[in-house]
Formats: sequence, structure tokens, C-alpha cells
Amino acid sequence: MAELTYRCPLRCAYCSNPLNFRDVPESLDAAAWGQVFNEGAELGCVHVGLTGGEPSVRRDLPEIVAAAAKAGLYPLLVTAGTPLDREGLARLRDVGLRSVQLSLQDVDSATAESIAGVRVLEAKLAFAAWVHELDLPLILNVVLHRHNLARVPEFIALARTLAASRLELANTQYHGWALRNRAALLPSRAQLEEAAKVVTAARKVSPAPELVFVLPDYWADRPKPCMGGWASKTIVVTPSGVVLPCHAAAELPGLSFWRADERGLRACWTDAPGMRAFRGETWMPEPCRSCPERGRDFGGCRCQAFALLGDPAATDPACAKAPRHDVVLAARAAAEAESVARVVLRGAPTN
Amino acid sequence: MWSAEEFEQRLRRVGEERYHDKHPFNLRMHDGTLTREELQTWVLNRYYYQTRIPVKDGLILSKALDPAFRREWVHRLHDHDGQEPGEGGLEQWLDLALAVGLERAEVVALRGVLPGVRAACDDYVRFVESNDLLASVAASLTEMFAGDIMRRRIAAFEKHYPWVLTEGLRYFQNRTRQAPRDAAFGLRFVLEHANSADDQARCVAALERKCEILWRLLDAVEAAGRHLRLSRHAELRTDRVADQTLVVLPERAVRLNPSGREILDMCDGGRSAGEIARALRSRHPEIEQVESDVHHFLEQMERVGVLEVAP
Repeated sequence: MAELTYRCPLRCAYCSNPLNFRDVPESLDAAAWGQVFNEGAELGCVHVGLTGGEPSVRRDLPEIVAAAAKAGLYPLLVTAGTPLDREGLARLRDVGLRSVQLSLQDVDSATAESIAGVRVLEAKLAFAAWVHELDLPLILNVVLHRHNLARVPEFIALARTLAASRLELANTQYHGWALRNRAALLPSRAQLEEAAKVVTAARKVSPAPELVFVLPDYWADRPKPCMGGWASKTIVVTPSGVVLPCHAAAELPGLSFWRADERGLRACWTDAPGMRAFRGETWMPEPCRSCPERGRDFGGCRCQAFALLGDPAATDPACAKAPRHDVVLAARAAAEAESVARVVLRGAPTN
Repeated sequence: MWSAEEFEQRLRRVGEERYHDKHPFNLRMHDGTLTREELQTWVLNRYYYQTRIPVKDGLILSKALDPAFRREWVHRLHDHDGQEPGEGGLEQWLDLALAVGLERAEVVALRGVLPGVRAACDDYVRFVESNDLLASVAASLTEMFAGDIMRRRIAAFEKHYPWVLTEGLRYFQNRTRQAPRDAAFGLRFVLEHANSADDQARCVAALERKCEILWRLLDAVEAAGRHLRLSRHAELRTDRVADQTLVVLPERAVRLNPSGREILDMCDGGRSAGEIARALRSRHPEIEQVESDVHHFLEQMERVGVLEVAP
């Protein structure tokens, strides 16, 4: 994942970028990104997600896409659909862009605006049409929460209309800004079960886009196999060139990560102390260390353990076996009650 | 609980909405637009269904405690298997196979049966195995809708597929008589024995399930006629680390072994799935079930987006 910038014209209430996103400089130019991509391909990377923030606020995006394609990677643009215009998108395709993931807040303009802070739906729908016209595969990504879960049928219908190849119905991960809004966003179990039923039924109606829906870890009793294991499958490079095992890991205390432009991607990936800290199983506390499921979920999410318990080495409290599962149970109980919390938008837009 | 009339109506509505006479493949069969190859694929695969029918009826007999029921139901076995070798519906289906240009031995061996067809038919047998007499008989009520489709089929064959020898149509002709008789008995039984709202609902569900099975059978037959090619969004790479073929797609990469690569290379959009499977059977006669494996692989590859239907 190449995080090209943390600037973004949207202010989504569940933004997963670091809270100090304003202080992160954009240190890598297109040539430096090209170097990162070449080294990534050498390491065996196949895809690269160009993400952010909103990657299309970078003026040198075409050069960056071209560099990714030249490195032999399969570039995916992860975008909010703005401010990129049709000509800009066509140009990206011409220099090697292979697919587009478009975020969508809601199917209703006003509710979408209440989550994103700006009026975006119309622009996104127009953008989706361009993606289709330009024959790029379209992946739709909807972040789900208690205010839009009831509209999963509409999201699926829209995905069909827009000829999306895949619809990711991604339940909010409560990190960063989203954690501040947890009381306003966490859905009830009944809402999730209803949505799951709708998804199961929709999968039987062909032709359906591929539907991705995973029960959020707060309700699943087992943690998510976060990033497929710490520093195991996915490399994240931040706008300042820091190499991370996941987009939120920079916030963890006491871990040092290195910069790709200073030490090279391979060393940053393999040897940085932060990367080694939770790779494999030796770091695991009980009950993870002796758990038969540790090879499946890798002890869950380190960032969640830190965010909820202040200790990144603790068992993810989303797990029912975790000593501090009570904090997740308390959040669940609150979600079952009628929520009165208001959604707070992330700080001012940054385009 | 519904009245008998209402209940019967509900059952008939299942047919109106879901019976496979509305499946695109059947519509094309009756419109006369199937190719010779497609018709042969259907006959060969549907034979597998025919072979499961007496098994299913035997299971139903084993659940029945009433001699009068068994006396009636055993007709079905006689109809299907005949009183003597060379008689009965199964044999007549083989006549149809000959009439469309298939070889008897090839059909009887069940080798070219598509995995999707096999799964659908086996599901039917399993359903009867694991359900009670009432639901099993209810599942057989697709016969209520069969008389009609048989008549349409005979007309369509005579009009559009004159190359099919008329002796081949005896199965359909017999079924126009047998199906309504069988259905009338089955319907009477279901109406009499569904004694609660729950029973009635189970019967409707059983009939829906059976319609779904017949539908899936045709889905699989239809898929075998499809011309597949590498998705235009896919990129083929040699995986630097593992030295295998890697098909890269948006958000996914699929690793192929040499056999997978061999099949993929044949997907040029010009050949149907069935043709590819047969070509690979002649290329690899030593591999048992090679056709079935090929179909299974093609289905999988289409599902994950490696292959797409050629325009």
C-alpha cells in the first residue's frame, strides 16, 4: 500500500489516517516512489494500492502510476472519486492504471454528506460511470456503521447498476478518528445480522458483484487476522517514506520503523525493529501463545490492543478469550442501547 | 393452515414462477436455437438425472408404510426400468442419445457428466434420503408441470431439429401420458397428508428446492457451451518467487500449476468449455475424470474472475 498523501477533501467521521496526519510531510517524489515500487516487485509484491488520504490530490499521480506499472506491479487507485476528472482518470489508465476502488459513504446525498462533511455523492456516481466507460474494473467500498447498515440492499443494487466487479461492505474499524466516534457508529447485533442475511441472499442472485462482508470484530468473538499477520503479507509505505506493517502502526509507542528512501525497502521490511516486534508468534502473551487458533488470527490487531488497553502486546480485546474482553462487551452493550452520540467529523479538509 | 384449494394453488404457483421451462436453456431449446453440440450436452447430462430417478423412487418406497401407496408408486420403477431388459424410460433416453448422435457406451459410462449436473442430481437424492415421505413426494410434484413441457419439446424437435431421428422422441411421448397420472397421485397424497401449516410450508419448500435443482442442472449444461477467454483485466506473470504462472487481477492473484496453465491457454474464446474438456480428454486419456476436472476448473476460474465469457 502506497500512501501517497494524507491530504483529503473529505472529513469522514471514520477516517483511519493517523490523527497527526497534518504533521506528516510528503517526502517521496515520483522517482522515489518508483524506487520503492521496484524494490517491492523484487520482494515479490504483485499489487500496489495507491491510497491516502486522497491520492489524486497529488499532481504527479500520473508519473507515480507509470512508475508502478513499469515496476511490473498491478496498480489499483483507492480514491474518493474527487478531485480527479475524467481526463485525469483516462490519463492514469493510459499510463498503466489497472483498477479503481471507489469509496462510497451512502446512497443518499444528505446522509453521505453528514458522514463525509462535504457533498460528494453526485461526483462519485459520475466518477463511477467514467471508470466503467474507460473499461477499468470498479471496486466499490462502503464503510458500514449504524447509520447506513439498513441500506445494504441499496448498496448492492447500486453496485449492480454501476457494474462493479466487487462490493466491499467493510464494517468500520475503530481506530484513529473512528474510535472517537465509536459510540455514534457502532451498530447493534440485530442490524448486523439483518445485513448479513441480505448479503447471503444477494449472493445467490446472479450476476452479482463479488460481495465482501465480514462481521466486525467487536461482534465476532474472535479477532480479525489483521493484515494477514504483522509484517507478513502487506507492506505499507507512508507519505514520508516510513515502512509500516499496517497503516495505523506508526501510532504505536516504542516501535521504530525505517524510511524506504534511506535504507531501502527490503531492509525496512525485514529488519526494522518495529517490523520484528510482533512478527511471528514469539511476542505472544497467553492466552494467544497456547491458543490453537493463533495461526489463523495471529493474535488479532496490535493497534486495537493499544487503542483500547494502552498495550500493543496485549491480546486483542475483540477476542472472547482475552483477559480484557470486557472493554469490547461494554462497547457492545452501549451499542444495543439507543445511541445519542453525535457523529463528529474529522478536522477541516486538507486539499 | 391453507384450505386444500389455496394449498394446491400455492404449489402450482411454485411451478409458474420457478419451473425450468423458463430457464434460458430450455427457452432456446424450444426456440430451436441450440447447436447440435449443446443438444448433445444436454442429452448426455440429463441421462445422469434419469439414472437417479429410480434410486429416488426406491428411497420413497422405503419410507411408505401403506401398501396402496407402494402399489401405486412402484409403477414409476416399472415405467423407468421396464419389465424386461431393453424397455422403460431409461432405455428410451438412450434411444434419444443415439438419435442426437451420441454413442451409447459414452453416455452409459457417465464420464462426461458435468460436475454441476452431478452435484444437482445428487442433491435431489440426498434431499429425499434425509426428508420424510411427505416432503419427498412434494418434491416430485414438478411432474405437474412436466406434461406441458414434453409436448412443447416434441413440437420443437420436430420443427427445429429435424436431424434428430424420430425414434428418439419416444421418451417424451410416453412422459406426456405418465407425468400427469403420476402427478395427480402425488398431488392427492400431498393434499391429504399435509395436516398442518408447517407441513404445507414444508411441501412448498420441497417443491421450490426441486425446481432449484432442475434449474441448476441447466445452469451447468449452459455453462458448458460457453466460450471463455482470459479476462481482459487479467495479467499473466511468471511468479518470481515460486516460478509458477500467476494470474494477476484487481485485488487478487491466482497461482496456476502447469495443468491449470495448459487449460487456460486453450481458453481463446473460440472453443466452448465442452470442447476444451473433450480436447483435454483426448490429450490425456490416462487421467480419469479429466473432463469433469476441466469443467470444475473453468467454473472456478470464471468465478474468481480469471476467465470471462467471450463476446
